[in-house]
Amino acid sequence: MGFDQFVADRLDRLLGYATAITCDKHLAQDIVQNVLMRAQGKWERIGAMDAPYLYVKRMVTNDYLSWRRRRAAREIAVERAELAQHVPSMADPADAHAERDAMRARIAVLPRKQRAALVLRFYEDCSDAEIAQVLGCTESTVRSQLSRALQTLRAHELARSATLGVQA
Amino acid sequence: MNDLIRQAIEAEAGERVDSRTVLANLHKAKKRKPLGLIVGVATLTAAAAAAAVIIPTTIKKTDAAPAAQPPAAQNVLLIGTDPDHRSDALVLARFEGDGSVAVVSLPRDVYVGSSPDRINSLYMEDPRRLTDAVEQMTGARIDHWAAVNMAAFGQVAAAVGGVEVCLNAPAKDEYSGTDLPAGKQKIAGDQVLGFLRQRHGLQNGDLDRTKRQQAFLAGLAAKISGDQALMIARQVKDTIQVDEGFDVVEFAARFQGPVKIRTATLPVQPEVERGGTFGLGVDPAQAKQFVADQFSGKGPAEPGCVD
Repeated sequence: MGFDQFVADRLDRLLGYATAITCDKHLAQDIVQNVLMRAQGKWERIGAMDAPYLYVKRMVTNDYLSWRRRRAAREIAVERAELAQHVPSMADPADAHAERDAMRARIAVLPRKQRAALVLRFYEDCSDAEIAQVLGCTESTVRSQLSRALQTLRAHELARSATLGVQA
Repeated sequence: MNDLIRQAIEAEAGERVDSRTVLANLHKAKKRKPLGLIVGVATLTAAAAAAAVIIPTTIKKTDAAPAAQPPAAQNVLLIGTDPDHRSDALVLARFEGDGSVAVVSLPRDVYVGSSPDRINSLYMEDPRRLTDAVEQMTGARIDHWAAVNMAAFGQVAAAVGGVEVCLNAPAKDEYSGTDLPAGKQKIAGDQVLGFLRQRHGLQNGDLDRTKRQQAFLAGLAAKISGDQALMIARQVKDTIQVDEGFDVVEFAARFQGPVKIRTATLPVQPEVERGGTFGLGVDPAQAKQFVADQFSGKGPAEPGCVD
């Protein structure tokens, strides 16, 4: 597959993925643009791979997980968490949007690697093996990242339901 | 709960920017591509060489007592890194006992021996593998290595209050953002990058740019014997890594006055494909001879005014 064709097919999806793991559309745009520029330079090699999309996704993920993004990402996550605290009181708790937004906020404050694993599973429908490839770790690490993320989300969900007097 | 997670992530992903914006930016970048690819190496090479001169000199000014005996010559591999710690520029430098420096820059896409590995990929794996490969390629023993984060370079130039260079003609180029008058002048910050990066509108392209690097390095070397040392030390100290056995303070004792630099680039063969990637081959005998010549003082002298 040529580079231009790849971009035409996958750019939107890649932006969605990057936005979901970073929780910041501008950072996501930055990362995707940079990664695609780098990928273009070595497209001879990437385009010949079995799964170019997976490889590019790995580049995007690495970029995000690399140290220099840490501070910025953390600030955004914290900001989002503060916003989230106000969500239940501002909206009808029965409102599906409020629930979804509350979940979004909880996902945003997960550790970055856990969130990446979660997005790969629930947004990209990746297998454990594929997630392991993207994150550059073993499958058992993937499983433990996912289970820890789900545990955290579930604990929050239970706490929230209890506060609102709703059965979980 | 799975559905809720899925919806939440969908909503987050739904915030993404319009892909047409990104596409437009990519097309813009594509037009600039030759510049970025080729020029990046030149700029970073200059940065690595300059940093090599700055580090020891500044450390000497702050910490070291002058040595009684002139120290032995040492070969140091300077690794210019990008913000992700990838090596982006490689410079093999020979520091003589009298403080003069001869440097040979190694294009980062050169192959390691006959393998399909490019030299650029070795640093992330293990700096030792990189130094071994460079020793084999150049025939020169490497005593130490130092890695420099290039991001600090613009600040360094600004910290010394600008570096004096001399242009034969005005330089104006929208690709690199260069806009400088003819004649002697001080450049700093973004002007430095423009000066080092410009390729368009230069008669001899690459060659002219190499001369600009040399001119800049000479200007910087002249500058750092002044009172700027402490400030520069502060600028660069967080961005430098060296091998464990490298006693930089002892090493720095050789720098007593303004630093003389000679620069050159390792000759390479045309681009070839190996194992599905492209890279540059090196003629082993020619490479070793070139480095030996450069290190024994047969390299070119400092330029005055440049194109």
